[in-house]
Amino acid sequence: MSKINRAIYELQSIDATAKQNRWMNQIHPLVKLILTIYYIVLTVSFHKYDVEGLLGMCIYPMVVFIIGDLKWKDALYRLRIVLPLVCIVGIFNPFFDHRVVATFGSVQVWGGVCSMITLMLKGILTVFASYILIATTSIEGICYAFRLLHVPKIMVTQFLLIYRYITLLLTETKRITQAYALRAPGQKGIHYKVWGSLVGQLLLRSMDRADDVYESMCLRGFNGEFPFGKPKKSAGGDVAYFIFWVIVLFVIRTYPVFRLVGGLFV
Amino acid sequence: MSHIHVAVENLSFSYEKNEPILQNVSFFAGENDAIGIVGHNGVGKSTLLKLLVGLDLRFEGSIRVEEIPLEQNTLNKIREKIGYVFQDSDSQLFMTTVEEDVAFAPRNYGLPEAEVQRRVTAALEKVHIEHLRHKAIYKLSGGEKKLASIATILSMTPDVILMDEPSVALDPKNRRNLIHILNEFDHLKIIASHDLDFILDTCNRVILMNQGKIIADGDAKEILTNEKLLNENGLELPLSLYKSDN
Ligand SMILES: Nc1ncnc2c1ncn2[C@@H]1O[C@H](COP(=O)(O)OP(=O)(O)OP(=O)(O)O)[C@@H](O)[C@H]1O
Ligand SMILES: [Mg+2]
Repeated sequence: MSKINRAIYELQSIDATAKQNRWMNQIHPLVKLILTIYYIVLTVSFHKYDVEGLLGMCIYPMVVFIIGDLKWKDALYRLRIVLPLVCIVGIFNPFFDHRVVATFGSVQVWGGVCSMITLMLKGILTVFASYILIATTSIEGICYAFRLLHVPKIMVTQFLLIYRYITLLLTETKRITQAYALRAPGQKGIHYKVWGSLVGQLLLRSMDRADDVYESMCLRGFNGEFPFGKPKKSAGGDVAYFIFWVIVLFVIRTYPVFRLVGGLFV
Repeated sequence: MSHIHVAVENLSFSYEKNEPILQNVSFFAGENDAIGIVGHNGVGKSTLLKLLVGLDLRFEGSIRVEEIPLEQNTLNKIREKIGYVFQDSDSQLFMTTVEEDVAFAPRNYGLPEAEVQRRVTAALEKVHIEHLRHKAIYKLSGGEKKLASIATILSMTPDVILMDEPSVALDPKNRRNLIHILNEFDHLKIIASHDLDFILDTCNRVILMNQGKIIADGDAKEILTNEKLLNENGLELPLSLYKSDN
């Protein structure tokens, strides 16, 4: 598979995962959106040395991956570019912060190391929480939830159209490069002399296509508000799910749960 | 659904200055007409259809749909009544799955979800692609895309159907089925096509165009059997007529 094909395929397969008929996918998008934001805010708010507390927050992705039937392998593969990036952020902290914050026997733990770990954890957990949202909620669902939160419709529509445009651009790129390759057999890549015209073509064509698509939308009654197929009315299960996580996450955030539980056995 | 007529008067249009595509085109399309628009490549058939749904408003002359002049502020009202199938299906389909694309129009018109689903099912059944309901658009074959495009306008239950090369890419069975669907639809329909047999099977009236002008406008059989007229305008007799001759 060519790189472009793979990109298109990945985009579509995330879409497909989001549209599967699983329990997690059925939960009202608003519930999932708010929970995700809530989770991210709580996670980010931990103190920079509080590794232990942050580890508690791992419960959410772990449990949701299991009940949502999400695959770790897929997630890691799809996030392969983002994860290393969020991990790099705190990498220099150990050089700057030599304050000793804990000692295990004769080993002293520097504050820099702790803050590096918490930064990484915060990044990873945030990314995973977002992934959970995307993998279980269609883009239309997320937009619909944004609208319920009164995010201006122009922004939501913009967001959605950009998302569509990416697919369109990729498909158009695929067409052009395929047409090129078929008439330039045995050549690897694209000759630099035609880059200019190909890129120009690509731009014109994808803009044209975007125009057509917009026209097609207008012809079918589009007037600025996207008709997100209303998800089913939020049921009791959704509310229970929401309340459960709000409480659990709040408790983990406020009390050093692990230490308390551990203390019971010591 | 109601019956609607379209009146075009002295329509002229050009994409670029000094390159007129349509010149002084006038015709009246009655509410039960089935009109085939024919002419060689690049004669302006698609352009004419696009103007009729207001995809370009820079024309001269007038287009009236049910006595409402086609203008910026009447666009929405007029488009609600018209279903338009693009020549290129990739331009028509933009959602991720067939179902969502077909549901787009009814949802936009604010119908309750149950009704939307009913219409989607009915439209897909009509063009025999229920099995593609949840399929991703980018995975469809050329002909399947065409059928899906047609379904997207059937779900609108339009009062007027405009189709640009609808039979292209369809296999004989699906083509026959489309003829059947169009013949069942007893409102105004305007079809641009090179498939003259298809026109013969679905239309009672033909508008023949050349160099941006209407050369002939009349009974479908009469025009499509006039070999001299067709040849003069870069067309050939429909295949079915050839066969019966030899
Ligand atoms: N966006 C555009 N900008 C400039 N010229 C255009 C544009 N679209 C079409 N044309 C020109 O207008 C003329 C009529 O095009 P149109 O697509 O209406 O032809 P058509 O009769 O539908 O042809 P075909 O049978 O090949 O589909 C062509 O000569 C074409 O080159
Ligand atoms: Mg055309």
